[in-house]
Amino acid sequence: MRIDTGLLPAFARGCAVLGSGGGGPVAIGRAAARQALEDHGPVEVVSPTELDPSLLVMPVGTAGSSAVMSERVGGTEEPVHLRDKIEELFGAPVGAVMASEIGGTNGCLAVAWAARLGLPLVDADGMSRAFPGMDQTVMQLRGVSPTPAVMCDERGRTVVIDHVTGRWLERFVRASLEAFGGQVATSEYVLRGHQVASCTALGSVTRAVRLGERLPEPIVTGKIAEAGGSVLVEGLGPDEGRLVRVEAGSEFLAVIEDGAPVAAVPDVIALLDTRTREVVQTEQVRYGLRVAVLTVPCDPVWHTPEGLRLAGPAAFGLTGLTALAAPGGLTGGSGTGGPGGPGGLGGPAGAAGAAGPLADRREVAP
Amino acid sequence: MRAGVDVGPTNTDAAHLADDGSVLATVKVASVPGDPAAGVRAALARLPRRELTHVAVGLRATAASVVRRQGLRKVGVLRIGGAPARAVRPLSGWPPDLREAVSAGYAIVDGGGGLDPEDWAPLDRDAVARFASGVAGRAQAVAVAGLFSPLDGDQEREAAEIVRAELGDLPIALSADLGSIGLLERENATVLDAALSGVAGALADGLAATLAELCPGAAVLVTRGDGTLMSLEHLARHPGLSLGSGPASVLRGAGVLAGLGDAVVADVGARRITVGALAGGFPEEAVGGAEIGGVPVGFRVPSLIRVPVPFDPADLAEAVDRLQPGPGRLPLVVVGGGAESVPQGLHPPHGKAAGAIGAAVSPVGGQYERIVRAPDRSALAQAMEAVAEEARAAAVRAGADPRHVRILEAADTRLAYLPGPFVKLRARAAGPPSRL
Repeated sequence: MRIDTGLLPAFARGCAVLGSGGGGPVAIGRAAARQALEDHGPVEVVSPTELDPSLLVMPVGTAGSSAVMSERVGGTEEPVHLRDKIEELFGAPVGAVMASEIGGTNGCLAVAWAARLGLPLVDADGMSRAFPGMDQTVMQLRGVSPTPAVMCDERGRTVVIDHVTGRWLERFVRASLEAFGGQVATSEYVLRGHQVASCTALGSVTRAVRLGERLPEPIVTGKIAEAGGSVLVEGLGPDEGRLVRVEAGSEFLAVIEDGAPVAAVPDVIALLDTRTREVVQTEQVRYGLRVAVLTVPCDPVWHTPEGLRLAGPAAFGLTGLTALAAPGGLTGGSGTGGPGGPGGLGGPAGAAGAAGPLADRREVAP
Repeated sequence: MRAGVDVGPTNTDAAHLADDGSVLATVKVASVPGDPAAGVRAALARLPRRELTHVAVGLRATAASVVRRQGLRKVGVLRIGGAPARAVRPLSGWPPDLREAVSAGYAIVDGGGGLDPEDWAPLDRDAVARFASGVAGRAQAVAVAGLFSPLDGDQEREAAEIVRAELGDLPIALSADLGSIGLLERENATVLDAALSGVAGALADGLAATLAELCPGAAVLVTRGDGTLMSLEHLARHPGLSLGSGPASVLRGAGVLAGLGDAVVADVGARRITVGALAGGFPEEAVGGAEIGGVPVGFRVPSLIRVPVPFDPADLAEAVDRLQPGPGRLPLVVVGGGAESVPQGLHPPHGKAAGAIGAAVSPVGGQYERIVRAPDRSALAQAMEAVAEEARAAAVRAGADPRHVRILEAADTRLAYLPGPFVKLRARAAGPPSRL
């Protein structure tokens, strides 16, 4: 498969869905990708088996604040600075680019930067969606070292981080972000070609395109009846009479109906404006919006015990939802006696919990 | 006494109001295609005019010019931002025919800033001069947009001086004046300001001449998309601000006629019903800003839903519900020529002239927005006062009487995921028209 300007809208839409309500401003990433594809031609999407086993695969993305990105739309040279420094640090050439995070604006930026470097894009990513933490990656689960990691800005100002764990990487990026003016390009968990097949979420790029071309059937279609805190969606049309609650932090985290969870993080939950067909982000939710609520499964690795520890409901402060995430445990958590009160679900108040105080587009909270 | 005029595509409405806001008379005349001033003249000629202190006019000419791609000036676009602002080109994503009609070339030169003073890069003055000579002979106007210029507009002004030295006296629109964060939208809006400078200048001159003759001594203002007014001089400088002003005036007029600051308003026209909402007497703004002629712009325009006529009552009910802040919370006010066809809601008297009345009763407005680092509440209060002062100054520049300007809204929003902490401050100010 090749991504060109014709395929880009579907891909970007898929990335927006996989943002799960977060993942930063896709419109800017999409515009950057369109320009890069116009300037440099289409991007080749390759499967991990096509990779030279000894060449480096460079995961790329940005971390920062959406408000800053809306002003500082980014440059053209970040991928060049990242690649040069990675090649110097690892002593090997970079053979392909990979999205650190397929969901949200970072999925689109990976296309833009692959085009600018004239390199193929691996059909894989680190998350299979958007997550707020830089360490919430399949590479982390598989024991790939996050470092040496590189942060740089559009002018090539560079910070190298080394000898740290995923959690400490997060800490150092957070500390540097302000000095970088609130936005930074990063590459971490650099891989060799032979590691990609076993250490990443596979098929992410083709999946985003397919999703953008054809969305799954919604869980419910209705109107937002309450937008403060958790989101209530009142069914309309064929769903008349149904009422579901969508728990939201910086992403949509869970969908609850009749006291029982029907979808929850780490799976993707997306809201779609039924009038404009646009993906609705958490901060755009307001009363009266007509939405379709849908879910897309994450990579199965996130449903293993290690995966759930790093990015399951408890990592986002949803204490009552472990039953849903465990295989075959979909029916649990209903009734009134659960640890989170009615519905068996604690609110996301403790979202600054186990996985750290994290936000969308790997936005690093103070 | 004051008068409001609403120049629609088919009809021009005018209203004559007492100082206390009560409606003394309304008239409706046919609009003159392509000549808004003629419609204004015909409508005002049928009202008593002797004691008018100000006349406010609602226009759709600028929006029509963009939509029809007519009368637009060729614009050279200068972006100040250098490396951090190259990922997306100016005019990217514009409909090709509009870009064709407007573009006289662009350059991205080094300079621009960030959240902190030390983030700023020096302006590449030579590159600005090269841009100017590059667009010489092609550009009829210039738009300048600098990275983070709402925080500090000095580089945009410096660049404008260099351009003027190269190209002489041509219209130059600066993005910092628009005051909103979001480079691409603000740049697009600035380009439209520059492109519309010819249309707006002619419009301002035509209205000034017409009204000087008809109502000598009265201040003349035009409506803008946020529901306030601005002077003709301000219209000539920032024509984009008038985009969306038609519906904004109708919403405000409906609220005043019904005595409500918060309401959902349905304006029933011959071809469609336009539904919007009022909060605190002003139109609810579209989330994420407006699109004009297919281009995303940073302008504040009312959030509207349009239902075609003849209408399905279920569609209208849905549109009204979508604009409610909560289930059935606000009353519905129905105005416009076809108001009788909607039985529900309040039908205030003079609802047919809501647009003209909204223009007549609106204050002159200004607003300002900036991001500041505010480590504690006292720093925040001080920064907010500075922002409020800028909003007051903007209202005065737009033609408000400085003695009576007051702050309508002062809001602070913490920017997520940035240390600092950084806070986005926004203030809106308004006051009665100055008669100077």
